[in-house]
Amino acid sequence: MSATPSNPQPPATPPISVLSLSVPVAMGYIPLGMVFGFLFVQAGAPWWLAVTASVWVFAGASQFMMVPMLAAGLPVASIALATLVVNLRHVFYGLSLLHKLPHQPWARWYLVFALTDETYSVLTTLPGGTRAGQMVTVALLNQGWWVLGTLLGAVIGAQAQIALVGLDFALAALFAVLAVEQWRSAESSAPLWVAVVSYAVAWALVPQQALLVAIALSVCAGLFWPKSTHAEVAP
Amino acid sequence: MIDTSYALGVLAAMAAVTFGLRALPFLAARFLQSHPLVQRLGRFLPLAIMTLLLVHTLVGSARENPSGPWAELAAVATVVALQRWRRQPLLSILAGTALYVALRNIGISS
Repeated sequence: MSATPSNPQPPATPPISVLSLSVPVAMGYIPLGMVFGFLFVQAGAPWWLAVTASVWVFAGASQFMMVPMLAAGLPVASIALATLVVNLRHVFYGLSLLHKLPHQPWARWYLVFALTDETYSVLTTLPGGTRAGQMVTVALLNQGWWVLGTLLGAVIGAQAQIALVGLDFALAALFAVLAVEQWRSAESSAPLWVAVVSYAVAWALVPQQALLVAIALSVCAGLFWPKSTHAEVAP
Repeated sequence: MIDTSYALGVLAAMAAVTFGLRALPFLAARFLQSHPLVQRLGRFLPLAIMTLLLVHTLVGSARENPSGPWAELAAVATVVALQRWRRQPLLSILAGTALYVALRNIGISS
């Protein structure tokens, strides 16, 4: 551990560059987007509808969930309700970004719109003084990869063959890198252990909604987390 | 064939719900910022949520992997060790992903 000053300023050079954080997102989003585009076109949608989904909705899990529901012609309200359940965790993401997002309306509301798991991860890792333009760039790049993957998957269609299994592990690796960086800057490692235990409990209780339940449990634990006066002073 | 106007209606509803969820904390910002509890959560949640996303992704990969969770565990251990040691995200991610792809594809082809 390096000695941390009591009033940390953003370092002159960010420890992690914006572009290098978007590359692993691309490695996850392009293949996953291709799978989504492929499945949606297979279910009977035209290619441009798949692209529209990725431009308008931009929420991976719920887009995958929607394909069979839409193909089955379920009512709009029930698909909206399923979207609400699948994406409920995103409510919690904004809580830790309230002070961090830029105040210019265009930048702020685009970032809020684009707040996927991966964009949230990248934004929380950027240092405090990061410019609005850089934040928007990384979010736009991320959505660009997702839309590009969707387009490729939809157009290539039946000919698409992903030769290598496991390339989407890049997303897990990205989360691991970001968890290590959060761990490095955290006051204590308690949130990490709380998260692991929460996930184990949630998995045992409701495996279908393990992530959402685990986040809710972690939020409850966080509410009882003791206040500290100098949050950033690490020993 | 999927009916276009129905599909567009579904997508619009999904977009509205998703944006609403993501925007809720910001719309309630004035109320939330006055709450010490929220600031506490802001310090606690990033590491907790990142850990949860990591665990959730790993569990998802491991469940699709017929030869058990060892490839996932080895690859994530590599990423964590490299990142703690060298602190170069791209290196950590590429090495971990390459190891994982190698483990998975060797396991399948043999």
